[in-house]
Amino acid sequence: MAEVVKELTRKEQEIRELIRAEMPWEPVGPTPMPGIADLRSWDMRLLKTYKPWYAPFCDLCCLCTYGKCDLSQGRRGACGLDIATQQARMILLTCLMGCSAHAAHGGHILEHLIEKYGADKKIDMGTYIELEAPNIRAVTGLKPETLGDLKTVIEYVYKEITHLLDSTHFGQEGSYLDYESKALHASMLDHVGMEVADIAQIAGFDFPTSVADTPLVDMGWASVDESKPVILLVGHNPATSTTIIDYLRENDLYDKVEVAGICCIALETTRYSDRAKIVGPLSRQLFYVRTGIADVIVTDEQCIRTDMLIEGDKVDSRVIATLDKAMYGLEDVTEKDTDEIVKRMVEDKKHFAILNTKKAAEVAAKVALQVAPQRRKRWITEEEAIELAKKCTNCGMCERVCPNLFGIGDGIVQVAKRNFDLIKEQFNQCIGCGKCEQECPNKVPIFKIMQVAASKETWKIRAGRGAVMDTEIRNVGAPITLGTIPGVLAFVGCSNYPDIDDVADMVYEFARRKYIVMLTGCAAMVAGMKKFENGKTVYELFPPEFDAGGVLNVGSCVSNAHISGAAIKIANIFAALPLRANYEVMADYVLNRVGACGIAWGAMSQKAASIGTGFNRLGIPVLLGPHSSKYRRLYLSRKEEDDWTVMDARKREIVDSGEPSPEHIAYVCETKEKAMVMIPKLCIRKNDTPQGRSIKLNHYISLYKKYMGGGLPEDVQLFIRRDADIPLVYKKEVRVYLKEIDWQPKEPVGLPTLIGTYPTKVPLEAVIH
Amino acid sequence: MAVVPFHRVNVLTGIKASRIIEDPVQCADLILKARRPLLVLGAKLTEWSVDGKLALEYALDIARAARIPACGTAHVKGKMVELGVSPDSAYDAVEIVNALKDPDWRGVKKEGNHDLVIFLGVRSDLEEQCLSVLKHFAYKHLRTMTLDKYYFPHANYSLPNFKKDERWGRFLEELIENLRKER
Repeated sequence: MAEVVKELTRKEQEIRELIRAEMPWEPVGPTPMPGIADLRSWDMRLLKTYKPWYAPFCDLCCLCTYGKCDLSQGRRGACGLDIATQQARMILLTCLMGCSAHAAHGGHILEHLIEKYGADKKIDMGTYIELEAPNIRAVTGLKPETLGDLKTVIEYVYKEITHLLDSTHFGQEGSYLDYESKALHASMLDHVGMEVADIAQIAGFDFPTSVADTPLVDMGWASVDESKPVILLVGHNPATSTTIIDYLRENDLYDKVEVAGICCIALETTRYSDRAKIVGPLSRQLFYVRTGIADVIVTDEQCIRTDMLIEGDKVDSRVIATLDKAMYGLEDVTEKDTDEIVKRMVEDKKHFAILNTKKAAEVAAKVALQVAPQRRKRWITEEEAIELAKKCTNCGMCERVCPNLFGIGDGIVQVAKRNFDLIKEQFNQCIGCGKCEQECPNKVPIFKIMQVAASKETWKIRAGRGAVMDTEIRNVGAPITLGTIPGVLAFVGCSNYPDIDDVADMVYEFARRKYIVMLTGCAAMVAGMKKFENGKTVYELFPPEFDAGGVLNVGSCVSNAHISGAAIKIANIFAALPLRANYEVMADYVLNRVGACGIAWGAMSQKAASIGTGFNRLGIPVLLGPHSSKYRRLYLSRKEEDDWTVMDARKREIVDSGEPSPEHIAYVCETKEKAMVMIPKLCIRKNDTPQGRSIKLNHYISLYKKYMGGGLPEDVQLFIRRDADIPLVYKKEVRVYLKEIDWQPKEPVGLPTLIGTYPTKVPLEAVIH
Repeated sequence: MAVVPFHRVNVLTGIKASRIIEDPVQCADLILKARRPLLVLGAKLTEWSVDGKLALEYALDIARAARIPACGTAHVKGKMVELGVSPDSAYDAVEIVNALKDPDWRGVKKEGNHDLVIFLGVRSDLEEQCLSVLKHFAYKHLRTMTLDKYYFPHANYSLPNFKKDERWGRFLEELIENLRKER
């Protein structure tokens, strides 16, 4: 027993040294660098109300050679696992994939920058950001000052990933709730890893920080000047893309070469140079690559098509793989002579792996300049498309394999009849997987035909601005927590949406209603790919500040840490709650008092799963598009049955609020219209003032009337505490309804918190400000 | 012979796959044998039509003929109201499934949980996942059926893939007729 105590003390001491516990910026809270079990009781409290909802893909487990095991109808596998626990294990694996992708991204960027500047390079987030790393400070207890400090943090994340992955091995964890707790842990760490990555990028690449009004940059394939050599970037990691721009600048070539990107790397690169172009989101990757406009394709990591070499070969684009995570079986020529590499790529049409950023940049530029003059690729004409479309017999095979469940054959047949209306509509629904073309028995070149459907419009998007400024938090902390700014919405994730216009429509609707709208990744791009009044995108129509009605492009996937960071900043800067190693206090505050909601309408990847689950642990509900039921797990409550008990910290009494706010924390909506109704509801919080609640209910009721055929929401009574909560414009109608159902007023909860309702090391005093 | 679902994102379900119902009379019998059936209506019903008749109208005819309560998911309620009908309840697909898997839930009529849940018009990927939830976590107290034009392997009873919408429409008309007759 004595030995155990000694071991724990040594472990604690190690952590205290790593986080420089003696530094007096704030006392160290209860969970510095938490391990798997340290925040478990918080997770269990969350999962008590928001129970996991599992939708298994299949009846089986096939992860070991004792199987396959049938887990249906109460059966257990050879290891004893049941179907719920198997789903939770898969979710943990999914979140670990996402978390490790961002952490490894951060780790690589750190290595790159430490090599360049040294570990002592200071982190400077600009004049208006003193709280530089809210996730890192809340989770680890370390206040990072240098790139070397960030390395300490990322090594902690790596260590935790190993322990978590270990638990998925045969014969270990046997509880679905504990697997969920581990998934929540992995996903919290994801936000730490993302924060490391983006702080390093801001410090090392001089990305915008402490500024809202970043430049408006060009987006859309038509923004790429095809008359110039084109270098196309695909992926996420800007180590090489920024070096390419440096090389072009240093050699006076930047006017002569187009640098364009797809997916997050496009967002990262426009943070470095506003002359770079954004082709579009992930869903446009295959489509654009197949146009053959790119002379050189430079890949880095995450969300790159794995058949890039095959696709490059089809159109004579040369591919350079620049990171060891995705080398495609290519010859590694990092140590070879640059001119020799260029010669082989130009003359022999070779693709190579080059893991040195400077060499990769030089080769990309030289090859693009030499290959472009021979490029004979162009967009096809309508007449050519009509001829190609005549091969289609509309057999329906394309529809059968379409993940977005539509029949492109109907559109192709219309093209053959010289009608392009349907295919233009379908192009907006296309998620760009290419399965239709692969399945076509008549070899109809569907993606080529789609070139006539693709809009040649260009759009403006604001370059990613990075973190929300402390000064902005001070200005809006009160209206957000009181409810008079009706909510903070974060549109995040990939481009697996039912329709490309959905995100822009939602952003427009809620920005007009004075919600604060933050965006990252592919969602940030598609929000800008629709023009509203006066031909303007949401980035031109709405201000870029973190304030009512603001529309903020925060940046790429790793910039999601600035969204969770903003919520933590509200708790620390506005509410003055203790931050250092006090994750539970932050999460409790956000869940109960910050009306924030994530919307991952097109979530597809494992990274999106961990980003969303990380928001969930911090108490932020996430609304997902219909495809996301394929993640297999949601966190849902049952509003009239579940436990809505909270501690009223002001009275120090446990009270049954009876109010399901937020109602769910991971929720799938079937249609955009329903999402429009759910979003305002998910922004309701127990501490709303009567004025704030009335504003929030006004949006809930008006959007319900707009999309659900009139009437009042069936559950509106659950969110009305007193008559003063009822929006003025609906007062009469709501009062009649409340009378009909014999509604009784209830006392609002003064200072709602879950602390004190479950076993925790956090004292109640910690959440009283 | 194994049946491949129309939308192949739904293949490979494992051991238990649904029984195909091709006879409207048999289908009507199954529905009428249930003590407390529930019809779950998805947003596709507001888009699909057969011979000029909106798919939602077929669904409402089924509800009326068999006197089954209807739950409108997504924004279906708006269209139902346009057609002069109020749904017995409005939940999103994942919410109604979340309630249904609890054997102690009192159902949309507060008379007890349902013993047969009939899906119609939820987009196929989401519907298949919802059926999977009930297959794995509600198999002791309820059975599931789909009346969509595609085959759904996770249901207990499913219609086959219909090559032509008209044949699906005919099936639904005959089902409605039989429900009326046998009621």
